[in-house]
Amino acid sequence: MHIIPYFSLLAALILSLLAAAVCLHQAWEGRSRWLPWVENAQIVVCTLVTISSFFLLWAFYVKDFSLLYVSRYSDLTLPLFYRLTAFWAGQAGSMLFWAWLVVVCGTIFLFTKRYHLLGAQSRVFFWIFFLGVQSFFMYLLTGHQNPFLEISPAPLDGQGLNPLLQHPGMIIHPPTLFIGYAGFTIPACLALACWITGEKHSWIEIAHNWTLTAWIFLAAGIIIGGWWAYLELGWGGYWAWDPVENASLIPWLSSTAFLHTAIVGQGRKALGKTNVLLMVLTLVLCFMATYLVRSGVIDSLHAFGDGGVGNPLMFFMMFILVVTALVLFFGPARDDRPLSGLGSRQGLLVITAWIFMTVGVVVLLGTFWPVISKLWTENPMGLDAGFYNRVTLPLFVVVGALLVVCPWIQWRGGVRFGKGLAVLAGIWLALGVVLWINGIRLPMAVVGASAGLAMVASLILLFILDPSLRRRRTAWGAHGVHLGIALMFLGVAISGPYKVEVDAVLAPGESMVIQDFTVTYLEMETWSTPAMTVYAARLEIARDGQVIGELAPQRRVYRTWDRPHTKVDTRFSLGVELYATLLGFTQEDIISLRMSTQPLVNWIWIGCIIICVVGFFAVRTLKGRARDVDTEPDPATA
Amino acid sequence: MRKKKSSRTVYAVALVLFLAGFGTLLMAGLKQNSIYFLNVSEALAMPPENIQQIRLFGTVAEEGLVYDPLHMGVQFLLEDSDDASQRIAVQYRGVVPDLFQPGAEVILEGGYLVQDRVFNAKTLMTKCPSKYEAENRSG
Repeated sequence: MHIIPYFSLLAALILSLLAAAVCLHQAWEGRSRWLPWVENAQIVVCTLVTISSFFLLWAFYVKDFSLLYVSRYSDLTLPLFYRLTAFWAGQAGSMLFWAWLVVVCGTIFLFTKRYHLLGAQSRVFFWIFFLGVQSFFMYLLTGHQNPFLEISPAPLDGQGLNPLLQHPGMIIHPPTLFIGYAGFTIPACLALACWITGEKHSWIEIAHNWTLTAWIFLAAGIIIGGWWAYLELGWGGYWAWDPVENASLIPWLSSTAFLHTAIVGQGRKALGKTNVLLMVLTLVLCFMATYLVRSGVIDSLHAFGDGGVGNPLMFFMMFILVVTALVLFFGPARDDRPLSGLGSRQGLLVITAWIFMTVGVVVLLGTFWPVISKLWTENPMGLDAGFYNRVTLPLFVVVGALLVVCPWIQWRGGVRFGKGLAVLAGIWLALGVVLWINGIRLPMAVVGASAGLAMVASLILLFILDPSLRRRRTAWGAHGVHLGIALMFLGVAISGPYKVEVDAVLAPGESMVIQDFTVTYLEMETWSTPAMTVYAARLEIARDGQVIGELAPQRRVYRTWDRPHTKVDTRFSLGVELYATLLGFTQEDIISLRMSTQPLVNWIWIGCIIICVVGFFAVRTLKGRARDVDTEPDPATA
Repeated sequence: MRKKKSSRTVYAVALVLFLAGFGTLLMAGLKQNSIYFLNVSEALAMPPENIQQIRLFGTVAEEGLVYDPLHMGVQFLLEDSDDASQRIAVQYRGVVPDLFQPGAEVILEGGYLVQDRVFNAKTLMTKCPSKYEAENRSG
């Protein structure tokens, strides 16, 4: 029975390789007669991989523990929702999920109008690269990462899913990241193909919606991970610069750099090679993220095992980079238009891209430092979180400052709405002073937070002064994303350095003070449900003598899990959020409690939601392409 | 053509300045925030006076585990994840994470107390209970 899904994958591998070979032959001959056959082959591959994926879902649904994978990540008591999402709970399954998304993306692209704008040769080359990536996935899934291994005899019950992962945040976090990773496959393959053939349509334009969607999903995936860490892990923080967090941040940084150079390069006018390189690099970094997480090369907080994918992944990344280098060095030469001066909008966009790439390099370097340092020391050296904060925060602050100013600079240099910009500068300065008076005095925090607020002011002013901006949907998209970023700036700049943490041991009736809050421990409550026993400490919160509410942080003991689970409680606020963690308690109901205040932390999540929702406004339609040219060189404003 | 050249020069100069500034920042970071990442046997092989501020990786031993009543601290033996005979005594004050227990893989930051070879951990982290954990547990 399990032969069907496995052989579907095997058939998909053979067909992908065959189709890639056909494309290579066609490209060599300079023909495209077999193109329809290749496109049909892709549809068949998509069907085959879909059959395998649905088979795995079905196996989880019917609790078929004769599959090793199903027995490892589910059990008889696991609710249906978590059983189905256990699809991506393990390594082989998440590889299948990623591969499936890649295959589906390719097939969807096949049916889009933009695909049909491409010249026949560009399509042939596109399929060479895309089928190459697809074959790699199929190779992994039929060899190192087969999700359809059987155990005999089949166990009566599975090993179950870790209860900490039975949380909505942890269920949507991985697939969101994978959609991002998979989405970058199309633009990267297009970039290489169009560069070789000298395609007359801009690949940046054709791939725009794919790049944008992948970028939004990647951003959402990263931030959902942070949100989960903040609320569920009880560390009191959302970002720890752990290698696994860094792994997904690096491709996001390079894709963000690309989004900015792409504006300059639209229509192949400038930065041709840079754009191709950045796009392919983003795809390679997605593989790198998986490599970091799965190969065991870096010791991290996350206990990922070596799943045997390290070497194939490393080899494949090298292969892509060599191919890209060959294409760029030996491909046909292109005439790039010269860039305008550094003080123009183009110049500022290029600088922005530099900074994002630099941050990417810092994070990559920091993550790999224990490996790199072995070159000169016997005992590996690593870098602590302070390193990342020290080096990247100033760079981010510069990005923030650029973001305030950049929309006011014209495409080829010079300021538009000079008075508006002057007003904005005044507002920015005033905001800085207000923050300073309110005790925000760390240089990075005061500049970062005031830049965040000034960005908001800048966008509002701009939309007031420029009516044409209000009429363009894509302008709402692009500026909306920046509004989200502005709010995140504000949240990070304040919540990072100004979090206050106080630990206390309290008997019932005793109080503690944190900033202007007084926390009184009322009593311990205990109750049981079929799944767990809950111990909750009732805390009364008062501010300036007025009782403003209660918090009840918990410790839960799950029936199926022998270790207690801390459930933090927060008092939601757009200002200072109060965060309570119950660290422990004794038989006499004496508790040890950690209280912290998290100023402005919720603006980070609000910013993220704005980015994810409003970002899609920047999707372009073919019809509106001629006039919907948002930040593109616009003769009217240039 | 001349314009192209001059704009290139400006960009090149700007890039050099940018990289110089960034390089200074990076060097400062590498110098001041770099610490040893060691497992237990590597730490034992080092001269004790070098173990002042390091990150230590290992597994919590079965015996020798003493909690203080309120779970606000713990003393334990940390063994090398590959070689259980290599051990370091650890003392830690602060929040003990949920996943801390004998056999758990932990990451510590801190250094030896001067007189005895007891590792004084300022932070104690257990490895994240990731979705791939099952593989590690069984394997």
